[in-house]
Amino acid sequence: MGLVTRKKVFSIMALCAMVGLLLFPVIVSLPSLAIGADAPDAAKKEEAKVEKGRDVYYKTEGIVVGAPAPKTVDGPRDYPRYNFESRVLLWFANQQHLYYGSFVLAVPIFCMVVEFMGVVTKDKALAKRYDQLAYDFIKISLTAYSLTAVLGGILIFTFLTLYPAFFGYLSSIFRPVMHIYALMFVAESGTLYIYYYGWDKMKEGFLKWIHLSMSVILNIIGTLLMFLANSWIGFMMSPAGVDEQGRFLGNIWHVLHTALWNPLNLHRILGNMAFGGGVVAAYAAYKFLASKTDEDRAHYDWMGYIAMALGVAFLIPLPFAGYWLMREVYAYRQQMGITLMGGLLAWLFIIQATMIGILFLSTNYYLWQAMGRMRGAEKYQRYIKYLVFILACGYLVFITPHTMVMTPAELKAMGGQQHPVLGNYGVMSAKNGGINVIITTTVLSFVWYMRGNKVSTVSWSKFGNIFMGCFFFFAYINIIGLAIYGYYIPANVRVGLSVPQVATTLSCLFFMFALNSVMMKGAKQMGPIEWGKISARSQYALIMLATAFTWMMGLMGYIRSSVRLFWHVNEIMRDNSPWAYTHTVGFAANMISFNVLFFWISILFVFWLGSLAAKKAPVDAKAGVPGSAPQPAGSH
Amino acid sequence: MKALMSVGALVGAIALLLLVGMILDVVPSNTVRLVEGYMPIQMLLEVACFVAGFTGLSYMLSSMGMAVPRFWQGIGFWAFVLLYLKFRVYPPIPFSVRAMYGTVSLVAVFMWVSANEDDWKKFKQPIMNVLDAQSGANKMLRYAYLVLIPVLVGFTSFNAMKPKSEEPIELRTVHPAPPASTKVHGKTYTLQTSQNPYRVNPEGKFDQEYSNKLIVEQGMGRLMAPNANPWDEKNQGYLKYVKEGGEIFFQNCHFCHGDNLNGRGLHAFAFNPIPANFTDPGTIAQLQETFIFWRVAKGGIGLPNEGFPWASVMPPWEQHLTVDEIWKVILFEYWHTGYYPRTWD
Repeated sequence: MGLVTRKKVFSIMALCAMVGLLLFPVIVSLPSLAIGADAPDAAKKEEAKVEKGRDVYYKTEGIVVGAPAPKTVDGPRDYPRYNFESRVLLWFANQQHLYYGSFVLAVPIFCMVVEFMGVVTKDKALAKRYDQLAYDFIKISLTAYSLTAVLGGILIFTFLTLYPAFFGYLSSIFRPVMHIYALMFVAESGTLYIYYYGWDKMKEGFLKWIHLSMSVILNIIGTLLMFLANSWIGFMMSPAGVDEQGRFLGNIWHVLHTALWNPLNLHRILGNMAFGGGVVAAYAAYKFLASKTDEDRAHYDWMGYIAMALGVAFLIPLPFAGYWLMREVYAYRQQMGITLMGGLLAWLFIIQATMIGILFLSTNYYLWQAMGRMRGAEKYQRYIKYLVFILACGYLVFITPHTMVMTPAELKAMGGQQHPVLGNYGVMSAKNGGINVIITTTVLSFVWYMRGNKVSTVSWSKFGNIFMGCFFFFAYINIIGLAIYGYYIPANVRVGLSVPQVATTLSCLFFMFALNSVMMKGAKQMGPIEWGKISARSQYALIMLATAFTWMMGLMGYIRSSVRLFWHVNEIMRDNSPWAYTHTVGFAANMISFNVLFFWISILFVFWLGSLAAKKAPVDAKAGVPGSAPQPAGSH
Repeated sequence: MKALMSVGALVGAIALLLLVGMILDVVPSNTVRLVEGYMPIQMLLEVACFVAGFTGLSYMLSSMGMAVPRFWQGIGFWAFVLLYLKFRVYPPIPFSVRAMYGTVSLVAVFMWVSANEDDWKKFKQPIMNVLDAQSGANKMLRYAYLVLIPVLVGFTSFNAMKPKSEEPIELRTVHPAPPASTKVHGKTYTLQTSQNPYRVNPEGKFDQEYSNKLIVEQGMGRLMAPNANPWDEKNQGYLKYVKEGGEIFFQNCHFCHGDNLNGRGLHAFAFNPIPANFTDPGTIAQLQETFIFWRVAKGGIGLPNEGFPWASVMPPWEQHLTVDEIWKVILFEYWHTGYYPRTWD
């Protein structure tokens, strides 16, 4: 057997091993399913003896197979503690695990995309750069992966030692799921290590495709892992598969597939991707600022750009996924929705809006700065001030609180709780308009960036430009018009208006990107993109982007968790610890900031560790990096 | 282009004069009125006009060889935003919101002046000149800043730490989370699914569409829809009950919530916070009728534990009104304000 054939056989074996690892947890769980299949027969025989219960969500009848949710009392049995607030300790452990978990789940997806781009790119130098970039990505996540596992262990110990009654109940419901989760984790680890360490051995031809297939499997496992973990929080917020006493009714699918599971899954996938992009972009920005040579600056400038573009690609649909989640929350329990959006936690949503605005503002600012490294992009610079104005107006509307913070004297001067002018911006109709204006403007900035150093040579370019201009103009008119119209119609119709607004924004995104790409095919280049010749301010914008992502993730996690108020499992298991109250906004903000700070300090350490174990970068790949290199066709 | 810029410059000059008049209290803030129903977009359009005007002015001055340096353009625009919010918009905006807007506009100005290297250099130049202190005037300015900035920081700190006799700022929750169901006069109502039994057509059948067509129309003021006069004796169904609800409202509610339902009744300013303003698009317009039913029936004392203290003196009206009367008064509130209750279909 020749060397190449042997390599191929080993690679296929490795791929099969991964598929086996992926299927392993499912196979292991089959016997339990088989037992479950026998159970109805047994149940029929003893029908008279078995107790039945009604599912709190699905309203179906089922045989009670679990114990009721424990009625906890404040004391060392149910709530053992240190001389410190247990909830805060758990919050910290949970948040850190989530940050790292999100990061290590997101980065392999980037890796897959970038590696694929490298494989399909015809330009060899560029393909090598993509491959190196994908390798850099996975290298960063590998060290973080171990830390994620360690933090997961800390989290479980925290649960077991501080909330034993609650965790005991949760694990009694999710017992098979937790085992599958653990096995999936083994599969994820095995796949990741084969993928990483097989990089050099499988870098060409057929083997490269096998390697790429491994990244697909790796990501499938990662995504399934996240879905399983999401089912636990979904159950805590909107329980199903149990009766009113919290007794498990034997249908594990009902327990998994709760009212909020799917919206949470989608929201978390997009959120993880955006977050992962932000962190990698910040890493690149840090390396850029610390670079001593033009070559390094060019490489990290390019890396930052790619990571930012990937992150923002997932940031744009994120608000819509969030909207779907909130819609489902309202549909599940009206009071939960009101507590979130109009009640106790409403102020946190104003902070969230502020953070979302910062994300989009930072992205736009980065793109404008990035136009500075292109010859020919000057023609757009004079119009940037108008984009700033539109963005600022959208942002101001988006962050305006409906109930304002004010002194009693101000309240009297204003004549009521709501301001007659600005109060109008505090409702959903205006806010939908605000965020859609912001996103559409971001799309416009991207379009300008994409055509910055190019002049279209297609015969219909003039018509194309006018068409694009009109498209954006009418998109703005439509979004703003619908936002105003929303004040004069019933709430259920108003909620539906978000569909045409979102459709308008997404049309801008897809049609304009597609049209622009067609127009710019074979376009005249005004000059190359001078990678590395970007202002330092742009890199701070990337760091700002990543910090805002991190902060917002912490905030939204807190909001999602707090909405259960004094319930461990909503309406099933009450939290009787002394900490079953909602923190003040100030305390929560400080805690989130602490978590963010800790994460960034620890991840800097991880980056440093990664650089210690750095694989010696191939000299030829580095030499091919920007500056003198051709522009990456797919990079803008 | 020149003509367009000239018009812009004229608009800018007039707008600036008006704003200066308002700042100096020579021109009242409401000289150009903010029209109810158009206010949300009117304010933004007004600011857009100012921006267009400033662009025109800048162009004209530049053509005349008197270009305003980028530094002063940035600072000037930020000052304009702060002054506009303080002196143009009425009633006065609370400081917390002005601070938010001021910060955002400062960020926007920074983004504008630093969007490209040329602009950024132009903007930084006066600052760098002062720091470099190559001329006598700049040297003087540098010394002045050396003294003034610490004094300003000190004064701000002193002011922040100084004990104040004002009542503290409140961060209130306006919409309490309702329970899943509520028991009134012995009957349990599920908030998600219950309906107002008086929202009916002349045949006596529940008809949301029918009642939606008859509410007061909004626009520049509120006007009754044609053929929708509740005081018509021949009315049957919805409008008949609106009238009955109105009578209950004026016998019981208007003392606090006001005869325009805007929360400014006779006794309103004896309370802190003042009663809810139903004409605001963020109160009853956002809520289900059953939410209002629960709030009216249980009053301030029936509000949930979370978010305490609510500081609501609303009486539990179930002690004074029948269930039917509560539903009718809610019907009237929606009719009068021209809002539709939230539904989930």
